[in-house]
Amino acid sequence: MEIRKRISDIISRKRTINAWYALVIAFFIILVIVPTLFVLTYAVTGWGEIQGQIFEEPADPTYTQVRVIGNGSFVSLSAPSIMDITDPEHLELSVQTNNSIEVVYTIYAVDGNETDIYYSVNSTHTQNGSAWVNVSSNSTHNEITHVGDVFQNITVLDSNGTFLASWEGDLHLRAGNEKPWDIIMDSLKFSFTIAAIVTVIDFVAGLPMAWMMVRKEFRGKKYLDTLIDMPLAIPTAALGFSTALFWAVTPGVDAWGSLSLVSSPMLLVILLHIVFSYPYMVRSLSAILHEIDINYEVAAQTLGAPPLTVARTITLPLFRAGLVTGIILCFARSLSETGGTMAALAMLTPYLSELAFPMDTGPTLIGAWKHAGGFEPQLAFTAMLLVILSLVLLVIVKIVIMRFKMPLRKVFPGPERLLSKGIFPKMKDWGALIFMVIILIIPSFFIISYVFTGDPVPVDWSAFWSAMGYSFLVAGVATVINLIFGVPLAIYIIRGKNHILTNILDVLVNVPLIVPTSALGISLGMFWGSMNVGWAIILVISSHLAFTFPLVVRNVAGALEELDPTYEETARTLGAKPMFVFRKVMYPSIKFSILAGAIMAFTRSLGETGATLSVVKSANTVPVYIVDLVKDGSYYPAALACLVLIIITFITMMIMGYIAKKEA
Amino acid sequence: MPEILMKGLTKKFGGLTAIDSLDLHVKDGEYLTILGPTGAGKTTLLRLIAGLTAQDSGEISVNGKPLGSMPPEERQVAFLSQTYSLFPHMDVWKNTVFGPVARGWEKKKVDVIGREMLEMVHLYERKDAKPGELSGGMQQRNALARALCADAKILLLDEPLRALDARLRLDLRYELRKLVKDMGMTAIHVTHDQEEALTISDRIIMLKAGKIIQSGTPQEMFNRPVSPFIHHFIGEANFISGRMTGYNDGHGILTDELGTAYRTAGSQLEVGSKAVAGIKTEFTVLEKEDKQGVNTFSGIVERKLFLGRFTDFEVILKEGAIVHARLPSSVAHKFGEGDAVFVHYSPERLIVFPEPEKGLKSELEMV
Repeated sequence: MEIRKRISDIISRKRTINAWYALVIAFFIILVIVPTLFVLTYAVTGWGEIQGQIFEEPADPTYTQVRVIGNGSFVSLSAPSIMDITDPEHLELSVQTNNSIEVVYTIYAVDGNETDIYYSVNSTHTQNGSAWVNVSSNSTHNEITHVGDVFQNITVLDSNGTFLASWEGDLHLRAGNEKPWDIIMDSLKFSFTIAAIVTVIDFVAGLPMAWMMVRKEFRGKKYLDTLIDMPLAIPTAALGFSTALFWAVTPGVDAWGSLSLVSSPMLLVILLHIVFSYPYMVRSLSAILHEIDINYEVAAQTLGAPPLTVARTITLPLFRAGLVTGIILCFARSLSETGGTMAALAMLTPYLSELAFPMDTGPTLIGAWKHAGGFEPQLAFTAMLLVILSLVLLVIVKIVIMRFKMPLRKVFPGPERLLSKGIFPKMKDWGALIFMVIILIIPSFFIISYVFTGDPVPVDWSAFWSAMGYSFLVAGVATVINLIFGVPLAIYIIRGKNHILTNILDVLVNVPLIVPTSALGISLGMFWGSMNVGWAIILVISSHLAFTFPLVVRNVAGALEELDPTYEETARTLGAKPMFVFRKVMYPSIKFSILAGAIMAFTRSLGETGATLSVVKSANTVPVYIVDLVKDGSYYPAALACLVLIIITFITMMIMGYIAKKEA
Repeated sequence: MPEILMKGLTKKFGGLTAIDSLDLHVKDGEYLTILGPTGAGKTTLLRLIAGLTAQDSGEISVNGKPLGSMPPEERQVAFLSQTYSLFPHMDVWKNTVFGPVARGWEKKKVDVIGREMLEMVHLYERKDAKPGELSGGMQQRNALARALCADAKILLLDEPLRALDARLRLDLRYELRKLVKDMGMTAIHVTHDQEEALTISDRIIMLKAGKIIQSGTPQEMFNRPVSPFIHHFIGEANFISGRMTGYNDGHGILTDELGTAYRTAGSQLEVGSKAVAGIKTEFTVLEKEDKQGVNTFSGIVERKLFLGRFTDFEVILKEGAIVHARLPSSVAHKFGEGDAVFVHYSPERLIVFPEPEKGLKSELEMV
């Protein structure tokens, strides 16, 4: 007891508290903000590489004359130093033989630890002369993951298949005869177009839903409320797979109810991104709608305005803050998503194999390049652009929406009265509901249909559980560290005396939320890489730490803002030391927000792919495991893994919710 | 025994001086009210005493001991906000013994003192109730018991009655004062409600722009305000600007710009100096006929405003000046809108002040 009192005395000393806050802020700056933005320094330190490797036209391949002589026969051919995997190469082979020989031309791609045959052609020659070797990409191995250094091998065998001679050399595979700059720009354009379209659709479809949730009472509202949040509980990699199963043209994959409609990568990615960004839009809009006093609407209606006019001229203009939040959240989520997009695009790849090159968004491009190894300037440059563009966009969205005078003044009494009555409001509500069911709910859970109606394949569960363990370890450690440092930081931001500092921190906290996670991963990897941190898991944890940190801080800060500081002050004057005040007065009021922040951080970490795949070449988390399975075409094991992951996530959330309820 | 002394206390927020080198002596067991308009620095003063805000300069001492930068939990000063800040998630008992528990007292001792204090405020039977289930009066008693339990000798009340409805406010005023007195605490009560201040206090301090402009008993504050501002703030007043033109029988004579002479209360002002005279609207008399002869002016009732117990009259005098008079409603029926009336100022009630430096209008502004 005495010791506890002594300790609490020491903790409560002003100097200790200040030192603690300093430590927390230092943690935030060093472990979250600086690593997140570190990639920007590459513009200075790596400018030479950027100029050399990104803006320069790619070099033309040079050909080496190779002669392979064995047992009196020889083969000569000009072997290229670079090959575009999107363009077949024609190579002239000249064969001089005294016998029947076979020439095997093989390209080995080194993919992680495995060596794969990327391309192989066998030709038999019985007489002298020249022949064409048509080196085209192998349909199952035309993924971008094989871009990079590979080696090629020419082997000469006799008619009995006995080895005569061989030659080996290096070959650089590249994705198309484009400047990296063009590849990067294409992927960013793809990303931003998708994000913009998704945000607009989210708003148009989300507004009636938010309206319904706040302004209307109906049976089953509670369930609808839960249903909207469902997609957030499912890791995006699983969502991407499930959505693609439902919508996409996937030859050879049978699932009851599958539409097999979509063959455009962009449309598929848009459909996927709506699923996980729509809940954010509805939540942001309904939060602000909740704040808007209904009396304004009542007043306007009693003054003779039909409901549509009221909504347009009275409520919507008061909406801006919610709109800003909604748009930024949706845009940032769409821009950032990696795993689901990878899975969805991989599902389309078999169908689109004749399409020379799979489409990539910024984050999937980063993931692919990182996986292939090398590409450092390209990765840094792409991440840098993503960071800058997303931050600039954040500022622009904020300014534009707050300044923009919405063209809402004009009133159209006739049409608006008509649209406010009869069937139209019903159509709006039902439309919103149907949209939600078809676009959100069915695609999210479509995987269940596949698991029950698809063809079962044995599953390697040990790999799955080890991935699960890895994911839980990463999410758990990141969440705990976030709680230890995030809660005090939130307290400091809201209650701190130095308002200049608290305002700066308040803005900075949002940065990791806006920066796409794959860019964050690259940045973080560069930062720690420059400090020689070896262990992959530490890098993965610290990247997950960075992008989930704002979730904890934002939740707790939001609750603290609502909490009247006079309670804490009164407690102080009644003789309670700061630590006691936190435990007995502050904590009981904010514990649910702390829990909410922890759940959000945990589930987000559990579902994250982009940050993981960009900070290390490959890590054994569940979403990565799922994406890899989907890429390999092992759909059934992927679906089972998804289902188990969904169930575990739901159970985790339910347990946490139950604890919260019991505590209350 | 708590006696508080403040010397040269100053607190600035950016460019704004909230408390301006303030000196104040609060006696042991005194019920002191700090009265002032919004932004006068009332709450800041309380926060400085409680240690919730640090002063820029000056010193606060309790019983002769300077507090310096002692943290709030060691000052034995209980700070209660409008809603008494009863912790909503704790029941009456836990709220009451919050202080002793926070200090880590033995459980036995805590139980004894908690029970004693709750019984004193007649709340022991409700010890399991949450604050939300208590009436306004019970909440107030609970808050006081809690402050006492925490061994607080000084009670700081920041507009404690503001959140209550009008009727309850009147009852609780009396109860609050009685409890504080019974318990022998020193209380500093902040309000901007002049009526509350007049009924509850031993002494009132008038604060404006971080400075004490007058200190005195409720009667002194009401009857002998030292500035037109206080005169107007504690009960509304009508004002006349002019010059002192002489003295007679202990009464002063003030002549306005139009040459009208008013008999005023006595004053120390020199003859010829610019002056302002004011009379509370309650003492502004309306008559059907000119009975007194002195200080009587004819006018027309412009507006009549029924307030319940009182009725406000707005009278336009012949020269164009607007005068307000507050009459008991029982006699208000005598005058109607448009009636010709005579306004009479009793000379003793017409208090003279030197003309304010920045003019009367800016003096009366509430900030």
